[in-house]
Amino acid sequence: MRRVAATDRRARSVSASGLVAVVVGIAACGAWLWAFLATDRVWLVAALLVLAAIAFVLVPRVDAVGAYRDAFARHRRVAVALSALAVLGVGVALYDQPYPLLMLCTVLLFIVPCIGLTIQTGYAGIVNFAGAAFFGTGAYTAAVLASRHVPHLAGIVAGGVVAALVGSLLILPMLRTRGYYAALVTIAFGILFSTFLEVNNALGGPQGLKLPGIDLVGWKFNRDVAVGGERASFYVNYVVLSLALALAAFVFARRVERSWVGLAFDAVRLDETAAAAFGIDIARAKILAFTLGNFLCGIAGAVYSMMQGFIAPNNFTFGESLILVSIVILGGLGNPLGLVPAALVIVVVPQKLQFIQEYRFLLYGVLVILVVLFRPEGLLPRRAREYFAGTLR
Amino acid sequence: MTFGGLTALDALDLDVAGGEILGLIGPNGSGKTTFFNVLTGLYRPRAGRVEFAGRDITGLAAQKVFRAGIARTFQRSRLCLPLTVFDNLMIGNHVRLQRHLAFNVLRRGALRREFDANVEASRALVATFNRRLATRLFDAASALDMIDRRRVEICRALVSAPRLLLLDEPSAGMTHGETRELMDDLLQVRAARAELTIVIIEHEMNVIERMTERCVVLNYGEKIAEGPFHAVAADPRVQEAYFGQATA
Amino acid sequence: MDAGVLAQYAFNGLMLGVIYAMVAVGFTLFFGVLDVIQFGHGDVVMAGAFVGLATYLGLGALGIAVPAFAVIVVACAAGFTMALAGAFIARYLVLPLRTAPAFNTLLVTLMLGSVLRELVRLFYPNGSNPQPFPRLLPAAAINLGNFTLRLDSTILLVTGLVTIFVVNLIVRRTRLGLAIRAVAQDSETARVVGIDFERVVLVTFAIGSALAGIAGIVYGLYYNEVNFDIGLLLGVIGFSAAVVGGLGSIYGAILGGFLFAALQTIGSVALPVSSAYNNVFAFAIVIMLITWKPTGLIAEPASERV
Repeated sequence: MRRVAATDRRARSVSASGLVAVVVGIAACGAWLWAFLATDRVWLVAALLVLAAIAFVLVPRVDAVGAYRDAFARHRRVAVALSALAVLGVGVALYDQPYPLLMLCTVLLFIVPCIGLTIQTGYAGIVNFAGAAFFGTGAYTAAVLASRHVPHLAGIVAGGVVAALVGSLLILPMLRTRGYYAALVTIAFGILFSTFLEVNNALGGPQGLKLPGIDLVGWKFNRDVAVGGERASFYVNYVVLSLALALAAFVFARRVERSWVGLAFDAVRLDETAAAAFGIDIARAKILAFTLGNFLCGIAGAVYSMMQGFIAPNNFTFGESLILVSIVILGGLGNPLGLVPAALVIVVVPQKLQFIQEYRFLLYGVLVILVVLFRPEGLLPRRAREYFAGTLR
Repeated sequence: MTFGGLTALDALDLDVAGGEILGLIGPNGSGKTTFFNVLTGLYRPRAGRVEFAGRDITGLAAQKVFRAGIARTFQRSRLCLPLTVFDNLMIGNHVRLQRHLAFNVLRRGALRREFDANVEASRALVATFNRRLATRLFDAASALDMIDRRRVEICRALVSAPRLLLLDEPSAGMTHGETRELMDDLLQVRAARAELTIVIIEHEMNVIERMTERCVVLNYGEKIAEGPFHAVAADPRVQEAYFGQATA
Repeated sequence: MDAGVLAQYAFNGLMLGVIYAMVAVGFTLFFGVLDVIQFGHGDVVMAGAFVGLATYLGLGALGIAVPAFAVIVVACAAGFTMALAGAFIARYLVLPLRTAPAFNTLLVTLMLGSVLRELVRLFYPNGSNPQPFPRLLPAAAINLGNFTLRLDSTILLVTGLVTIFVVNLIVRRTRLGLAIRAVAQDSETARVVGIDFERVVLVTFAIGSALAGIAGIVYGLYYNEVNFDIGLLLGVIGFSAAVVGGLGSIYGAILGGFLFAALQTIGSVALPVSSAYNNVFAFAIVIMLITWKPTGLIAEPASERV
């Protein structure tokens, strides 16, 4: 009787300390993020990066971490909620600094198309080098609908839908081709897209289009918010929206992966012949993955365009598609969690270290080459499918 | 069935009775695996018909052949190595799972119940082959040795309760002891499902002798002999096909 | 439409076709030998053009101004440096990844192209702007109605065709070419019979990249202008051309190159809209062709042992 009580108590204390670890870990990351976004000082940025690198290298080697990883898995819902709160907290802490808030929104909004690419490439093995084209499709759709006074929420959703529809134009070639050929189709499409926008004066031509800020059931996003006696930058509105979008996309992708649908995607990616021999509908799986991914790209593009207030064809070129792919590869193909540090590195670091801003495309290229050559699994490698917490035994 | 100028299968007339275990033997390149591939829809034959359980399945896509109740293993191991054993089994079971996106994303409770039920069933199935393996259901397939991978492949073909099981050289690379074990397990499975029909391609004649009631010999894409193993082994044409000349 | 104007369009199309064919042959050689697509190949063309430009400026600084001499030096410099670059790419980027999934090689070469573009844009003096390319060939011309047959363009056309012909000769008739074809057909068996696999791969990449470098010079001499971002479109077009013709087939690559140029030319003649739509038209057709015949118009169908 006493031994049972002791084991019970130990289990509960591990669980309790696991919860504490989750809270502390997330709080620490939140504090790091706030400092990183807020600072202007290069030495502090460098120090924070070094700190992150050290943590990244050391933490997996500490034995206790394995147990705490289980804790994170067990307290999954809490971890997700706390992470969202932490990001929100960072947004609130930065309430009167528009520039860091804009960076935060950009990171969050770039993570969403990258989650889409993760579903397409990481899960189903579909190569897509036109991510920016679908992002841009959502952006232009939102712009056109906003100019026709369609309610903005509908415009944003429409951005995703139109991107998915445009993607369906490529479905037949994507299904009939493999590997390099499929890559060619998306690269060609990406180039076509920006060319088409540039020569098309109905969509603003090379000068682009202007958009109004989001107006959601009367709440104008582009108006600074007054709370108490303080004025918060209007970007906090976008932080909330982007966070909600990123969170929804993340939870969605995770549920898809940890399900029979994700399993079908993996089967198609790893061995089409065997998948077909066991009755899996290859075409349906690929179409689904491709469409879902493009929808996410489109929705993010719509929100991004309304936040920026202005879009032009040269925002959505092949180079931008490569940025999205770089984030996905750096983060770890197939692991949406890795997109967070990767997006911070690729989107924020060049802004913080202005002296590398000019060289950033060069550095992205070199970085991806190094990652692929020496650590192809990326920052956070993909782990075995754990359908539900605690079932990997 | 032709590949360019090479005729891999020609005028193969074969009847398989329900519930029997049929052996398919012949020298290398005689068309045995090609026959499986034509049967399961991976290749389209130029001429001929395939009928299964009263239904014409000639030229059907692989997925439809599978849904008709034909499952197979492959000569070259085709497990998804980065995935767990359970994942690989569920690929084999995929047609019986709830595959709609809405169900998988929104109805997590029901998904959990389906998951648990399948874990139970998989454990039971794998345990008939190897108890130890049943405890490794969530190990990556890449962590298994070749024998265990073979077992998983056979389980993957069995998990959807097919009516016809096609085994392509199941004992390749195994020792005699391992082969014997594998055959015991197969017979055990067969005992539990009397209506399961099995066709085995093999080079290991002990397996054919022990497992099959009847076998068919192919050579250069043609059937050259048919009958119980001992009769076929004594057939001079079969001996010539294998050895180059009839043994005296 | 006037015959002269049509002839002008046709000649222009031929020139484009030669350039595309030169790029496509490189793609097809690399694929044949290693089953790999070097996505940065178009930027190797661009780099060759810039190396040529820099060489020319260097010659000018040395006071050497004889055009005939300069053009040969420039072409050799471009060809030679790109050959070295090709071998380097093969040795350090492509060969190490041959056991990794194809997607990794795709990424690395794509990023290589991006790196080459940025290196030129950032470090070549005034690199983000178009650079004038010198006229090194004789400017004589014959006027036939509305069609002006220029000597320099003709020389370029012939040069392009000759270099493709030479590469084809190397592959079809020399021992080296035999080794290349052996490796392309079955690299394991080739190794077993004593062919140095790595050396053959390096040489193949060198040849393909040298061809690309010379293509860059041809491009520069024809348009009299080069820009850091010409590589992307050239690479995509060259790859498309190689795919349409059938990856692994040199004749297919040549056919594909001229076919793509023909599509672009037809597009610009037939469609009364902006010239940018040429590309839209041509790519749309190519995508349809690939969908219809996924393994190309000429090549052997891919097969997988089940």
